[in-house]
Amino acid sequence: MDFAEKIVDVTKEIFGTMIMVDVTAGEPLSEHKSRFQCSLSAMVGFAGFKQGNLTLHAPDAVARGLTQDFLGMEVESINEDVEDAMGELANMLAGSLKPFISSENGKVELSLPSVVHGEEYTLTVVNKADWVIVPFTVSHGDFLVGLEIKKQ
Amino acid sequence: MGKIILIVDDSSTMRKIVNRSLRQAGLEFDTVLEAGDGQEAMDLLANEKPDIILSDINMPNMDGIEFLKNKANDASIKDIPVVMVTTEGGSQDMVDQSMSLGASGCVKKPFTPDQVNEVLGPLL
Repeated sequence: MDFAEKIVDVTKEIFGTMIMVDVTAGEPLSEHKSRFQCSLSAMVGFAGFKQGNLTLHAPDAVARGLTQDFLGMEVESINEDVEDAMGELANMLAGSLKPFISSENGKVELSLPSVVHGEEYTLTVVNKADWVIVPFTVSHGDFLVGLEIKKQ
Repeated sequence: MGKIILIVDDSSTMRKIVNRSLRQAGLEFDTVLEAGDGQEAMDLLANEKPDIILSDINMPNMDGIEFLKNKANDASIKDIPVVMVTTEGGSQDMVDQSMSLGASGCVKKPFTPDQVNEVLGPLL
């Protein structure tokens, strides 16, 4: 299955429907990205038939901008509203991808969203995993949507 | 008397989004009440009687399923229609259970204002 294509489809649908923001997808990254600076990452894990996670990564300014679009209010810093909004976006992205990760052989269940934010951090998947990371562009800047699935 | 809606969701973002979608759908409410989970909703319903309730399913403290069960046992509020809000990938079992417990419909995220109107409109 082409998960990059699915990520593009669900991201465009969710951003277009819930935030009414047009996003432009770029080519999937050729190298894995796990270190981030002045950014926020919202992650939803899944387990069951497949194990892995869906993560939305955005620089602070983009996370604030998306939250402003989401909530229709000014956001001056990364606060609870930003964390909640980004977590909710990750939740919806994971929810929309879930049918494609599940199969007739088994289902997956989603975790609650987790949000990490800071000046510099690294996110590491402990087990070997297949991954795809798709960059997107909005008016506020670029963000990434990544999907990691544990190798069987 | 204007219509009253109660939005039950542990995400303040989603409560704002639902509120915005209602306005964009042309559904006018004089009063929008909010609760962060099923228990807060039950506490609020002791004194308020909204015309309709929108409730998330997955919530801490008291989730949407338990909320429906508790509501059904209270004669003063059991007939208030409840529409569940869930994600596209949410548990179908929980949606089915919600409907069997008396939920009047379900809206799946992401949703458009028209989709919200389609489900809520006939209930108002």
